Amino acid sequence: MKRLALLALAALGLVAADFRPALPGYEYRFPRDHFSHPEFQTEWWYYTGNLRTPQGRRFGFELTFFRHGVARPPVRSSPWQVDDLYLAHLALSDIDKKTFHHRERINRAGPGLAAASAELSRIWNGNWHVEWRGNVQSLQAVTDAFTLRLEMVPQKPPVIHGRDGVSRKGPEPGRASHYVSFTRLAASGALELDGASYELAGLAWMDHEFFTNQLSPEQAGWDWFSVQFENGAELMLARMRRNDGSVDPFSHGTFVDRSGAARHLESKDFSLVPGATWTSPSSGAVYPIEWRIGIAPLGLELSAATPLANQELTGRGGPSLTYWEGAMDYEGTLQGKPIRGEGYLEMVGYAAPFRFGEASGP
Amino acid sequence: MPLLTLDHVSKTYRTNGAAVTALRDVSLAVEAGRFVALAGRSGCGKTTLLNLAGAMDFPSSGEVLIDGVTTTGLGDAALTRLRRAHVGFIFQLFHLLPTLSVVENVELPLLLAGRSGARGAALESLRWVELEDLAGRMPHQLSGGQMQRVAIARALVHSPKLLLADEPIGNLDTATGSTVVALLRRIARERGAAVLMATHSMESAAACDAIVRLRDGRIEEIEPR
Amino acid sequence: MKARLRIFHRLILRALFREPLRTALTVFAVALGVAVVLAIELAGVAAAGSFRSSLETLAGDADLEITAIGGVPEELLGTLARLPYPLEFSPRLEGVARVEPEGASVTAVGLDLIAQRALGDAQHPSPEEIADSRAVWIGADIEPRKGGVLSLSVNDRRFEFIVRGSLPGAARERVVVMDIASAQDAFARAGRLDRIEARHPPSRPLEHWRQLILDALPPGVAVEPAGARTDENRKMLAAFRWNLRVLSYISLIVCGFLIYNTISVSVVRRRPEIGIARALGATRWDILAAFLAEAACFGAAGGLAGLALGRLLAEGAVGMQAATVDSLYVSSAPAAIELSAGAVALALLTGVAVSLLSALAPAFEASRVAPVEALTSGQREFQARVRVRRDLLAGLLLAVLAAAASQAPPIGRKPVFGYVAALLLIAASAMATPAVVTVLSRAWRKGIRLILGVEAMLAARGLAASLRRTSVLVGALSTAVAMMVAVGIMVGSFRQTVVLWLDQQLRADLYLRPAAGGAGRQAVIHPGLADALEALPGVAAVERFRSYDISYGGLPALLASGPTEIVRRFGKTRFLPGQDRHAILDQLPLGDYVIVSEPFANKHRVRPDDMIALPLDGEPREFKALGVYYDYSNERGYIVMDRGVMLKYLPDAAATSLSVYFDSGADPAVVRRAVERTSADYAVSIQSNRALRAEAMRIFDRTFAITYALEAVAVFVAVMGIAGALLALIIDRRQEMGVLRFLGAATGQIRRLVLFEAALLGLAANLIGLAQGALLSLILIFVINKQSFGWTIQFHWPVALLAGGLSLIYAATLAAALYPARVAVRLNPIEAVREQ
Repeated sequence: MKRLALLALAALGLVAADFRPALPGYEYRFPRDHFSHPEFQTEWWYYTGNLRTPQGRRFGFELTFFRHGVARPPVRSSPWQVDDLYLAHLALSDIDKKTFHHRERINRAGPGLAAASAELSRIWNGNWHVEWRGNVQSLQAVTDAFTLRLEMVPQKPPVIHGRDGVSRKGPEPGRASHYVSFTRLAASGALELDGASYELAGLAWMDHEFFTNQLSPEQAGWDWFSVQFENGAELMLARMRRNDGSVDPFSHGTFVDRSGAARHLESKDFSLVPGATWTSPSSGAVYPIEWRIGIAPLGLELSAATPLANQELTGRGGPSLTYWEGAMDYEGTLQGKPIRGEGYLEMVGYAAPFRFGEASGP
Repeated sequence: MPLLTLDHVSKTYRTNGAAVTALRDVSLAVEAGRFVALAGRSGCGKTTLLNLAGAMDFPSSGEVLIDGVTTTGLGDAALTRLRRAHVGFIFQLFHLLPTLSVVENVELPLLLAGRSGARGAALESLRWVELEDLAGRMPHQLSGGQMQRVAIARALVHSPKLLLADEPIGNLDTATGSTVVALLRRIARERGAAVLMATHSMESAAACDAIVRLRDGRIEEIEPR
Repeated sequence: MKARLRIFHRLILRALFREPLRTALTVFAVALGVAVVLAIELAGVAAAGSFRSSLETLAGDADLEITAIGGVPEELLGTLARLPYPLEFSPRLEGVARVEPEGASVTAVGLDLIAQRALGDAQHPSPEEIADSRAVWIGADIEPRKGGVLSLSVNDRRFEFIVRGSLPGAARERVVVMDIASAQDAFARAGRLDRIEARHPPSRPLEHWRQLILDALPPGVAVEPAGARTDENRKMLAAFRWNLRVLSYISLIVCGFLIYNTISVSVVRRRPEIGIARALGATRWDILAAFLAEAACFGAAGGLAGLALGRLLAEGAVGMQAATVDSLYVSSAPAAIELSAGAVALALLTGVAVSLLSALAPAFEASRVAPVEALTSGQREFQARVRVRRDLLAGLLLAVLAAAASQAPPIGRKPVFGYVAALLLIAASAMATPAVVTVLSRAWRKGIRLILGVEAMLAARGLAASLRRTSVLVGALSTAVAMMVAVGIMVGSFRQTVVLWLDQQLRADLYLRPAAGGAGRQAVIHPGLADALEALPGVAAVERFRSYDISYGGLPALLASGPTEIVRRFGKTRFLPGQDRHAILDQLPLGDYVIVSEPFANKHRVRPDDMIALPLDGEPREFKALGVYYDYSNERGYIVMDRGVMLKYLPDAAATSLSVYFDSGADPAVVRRAVERTSADYAVSIQSNRALRAEAMRIFDRTFAITYALEAVAVFVAVMGIAGALLALIIDRRQEMGVLRFLGAATGQIRRLVLFEAALLGLAANLIGLAQGALLSLILIFVINKQSFGWTIQFHWPVALLAGGLSLIYAATLAAALYPARVAVRLNPIEAVREQ
């Protein structure tokens, strides 16, 4: 489950009156459901991954497209009408060089500026896009610092998280999302960085989530983990932190085995213990960058650590948030046998005390 | 009645804050038709006396009377009128206006006074100094003696009763100088004017009817001849 | 060196302090000359600087601008935004709005407020706020504050906006920012953007990116470096600024004459002292250096004083220049005047250089004084070395050269040879001045005494005697007079030409414009209004005129259309000689034909039957120029096509102005009331034929206000110089004045003598100036104006203006003589005569 945009957009003071809540029994139809759901207020497509050059130089990337509904039904016929906001975040972790690049943009649909169109099989924000051709997803992200182009091929069918088509986030009905992931995408492509071009290959993960009312006011932030094990299994864990510092009972997770079968994990099924921390020099936020993960029902013990401490996306206030999202290494045992993996970690709500309805950030 | 009377005249100037007395208690009377020399070293007060006599300046004390009229208390316009009517000036350096021809120079006093018949009078005056042939010349075409004779013609053109000459031969050679002195003498004799000539040349003073010797602003003696 | 300093001190400084008033006058004259040049320079920079204001950078500094005639179709922004290059694109819409009810105009800018952080990092308006079509953010100069209602007329409509906040960084601008969606609404420009701004990373040169962008766009869309428009405007203004600058140099020339006079007087007066200095061992160079140093002192002191004065004058000048720029070119808010180091250097250098140049001749003369001259008194100083005949010949030669220069073509749109011709003419007239003065004084010799009295004769003789000095004074004043006359004739002729043209051009009974119009921005009227007006009884025709700002051949121009049929029936468009109006107007609506205005034709060297390339409707197209017509309404120049032809390519029926023709039998008052009623729902200004004409003339006069101001300063400098020079003349001739008193001159006569000298100087200067000015005006009208602006001006004598101006100068000259006359009257004749 993901998270960030909600806080960000809530900061804009949006309301969710005319949108449809995520309720159990939703019938998924693919590939239609991989694209926009304007009847839900918020929607995002998250691509993260760990890639290497043939020489072994390691890069992590994050490309996220958000859509947030503003006005329903449309009040003007101009393409400039602000029916939806389209945000996008892009980050590149140059692990070996210890550098981290990140960019963000915000647009309305405008005359072709951004959208997630089933007809075009395309999700885009300016010249950042993911285009679906058959089951190949082509990613392009152009910035003044680097350009990333990837072809991503699913190795497993999409996983629908939660139960009965919804991933619950709170006690009331509708405090939930429709949450679909491609947990194992074989990614290959090229990166242009500092005038040089690198061939890249590795694994990517894609989350697609759409909903209307998700988090409750008591929820202050979250930690989201994705793990792609060398043995072919994947793990997703989402821990929501409450204002009082406690762990929210609706924290949850999903374990996907080598065959693609998904197992839903409840809050009580797992434990997450933060370890060493890193203090951001720019925001002052203190992020735990080492974790102990235990999932008793699976017999899984993991220690998580990042190869690059500074993977903080520093925002500029307003809809532009500050959070940490970066490449991770996982190591531990599954039922006593050693197990290794790589993945991503997202930590939100550390930079500033965040409350709904207020502007946040530096 | 004398044409020019100086009655206990003193004149004090202020230069650089210090008072310099140019004339002290000078009394003098000059009758019409008389040719009087003012003699003395330079700085003895000759020029000051001439300026007072010509109504160009006022005495600090005492009185100057020209043809019976006292200059004291007269305004600028009245002084000018007095000058125009009675006084002719002759200078050591002639002071002809270089931009005017001889005849124009001569007629200038009449023109300034607004009198009619200036040209005729100027030519007449030139004839009198025997320079009528040069009427159309420019001053710089004349010799020094000719210039001074033109200046005399100019001083005579309005038939003044009082002719004041300040070192008229100071810039002339001896021969020319004596011609000019003779001319001044003729003026006193033939035109009945009172001529007062400042000079430091005893030779020319000797041609006068009387010599007034000045020394340090006082009359040292009056030597009748 | 020490010796030179001593000489300088002995010869120069002491003398300067002995006559503080004259010294001050000379310094002041230099200061004024320098100040004018500086003020024009500073004001020019400020007026032109305003084209690129902080308004431009609201959304960050753009590198490239993408434009198209009639606006950029907005879909192109999507195309561009998806290009796989690290470029940022942002849309922009801009127009003029009028704040109601005050009527002040503001620039309204539409930006993509969602994508661009134009409102600064501190403000985070919600998407709803941004999307609200009534939301605006304003510059600090505009009321009301946050939350208040701002009434604006945009085009022909009235809007109530809610102020949501203020703009960072644009505090001084009169600007209203709104979202691009709201702006499209308000300006009725759905689907179009004024321009798309692009930013590129520095990794590759601009041209690389420009080419990439061009490749992605359809033809007809221009991609230019940002500020290309600004540069175009600057280029456009260059001619205007050049001319002003040259006009301002006239004051310097006048200054030069005065310095020449001052130093000449110095030299003449100190001949004996120079002789003594030479006898005591000073070299020629020592003497030359001393007098040049004197000039340099005047120059430096004048330059410094001129710096302060110029800064002050610039305040006034910038307002006037901005008014001109506004009415002639584009709407602009003047930027702050900045006294840069360059400007300071300009002032000081100008002052010193002009002084040194002007002092060269007299200083050389001083250096040639022989030691023996110490012993002779300089009686005939001024007669010396004036070679009237030779100078006259030189003058004639210069005049011939001037005539030749006036025939030469411009260099890079600047009438360089025109200026050269003007300078040669001034020099020619300076050389001829002694001859003229001599001839005049000979003419005076006879009759003047009888008519004006002996004082006039003496004055005339005195002036003729000091011919060189007199000539220089006459030269200074006549140059100023000539400038006044020339500019007066030029402006007067221009004005008369425009009046005649307006008579022909303005044939309609009523003119309608959007209330929120402004120079350089094309506001429009809703097409519905024109249709409604046409249907009114008593209305014979409604002429819909539409114009677009375009760029042609790297210069701003206007592309316009009108209904040829109505123009033919009612209008009186005049074409250049040899062109058949009827044939042209018959052919115009039939295809891709245009007619162009005279300034356009001159700027772009277009002749009938030439082809004009205009990218329209996404295609490069060629239009044949059928004719060139007279137009004085816009210096940028018009390309005009038939309305039907334009609508084919730019299908926007809105007009930028409407001309309403009444039926001949209709009661104008009744029809006008009907038109007013019909237009009541639109914010349009309705002007009668007469009112429009009056306004046109008002704008015209405002445009030339600054030239009058420049003339006034030059005349003032000259008159100041006359006062100083007369003073010197009097002091030098004090012995003569004294002798005159001895010979029976009254003080009143002495005063009249001085006044007559001034009067004669003034007369000579006016006569020469009038002749010189008339010739100069020919160069101004037929060379400089034609080459820099491209207008045909019919020559016309503005008799009243010239008579008034000359009388004023004459009176000023006499007034300037009052003080010297007083000095002359107060001279002690006894002391004056005694001096040897």
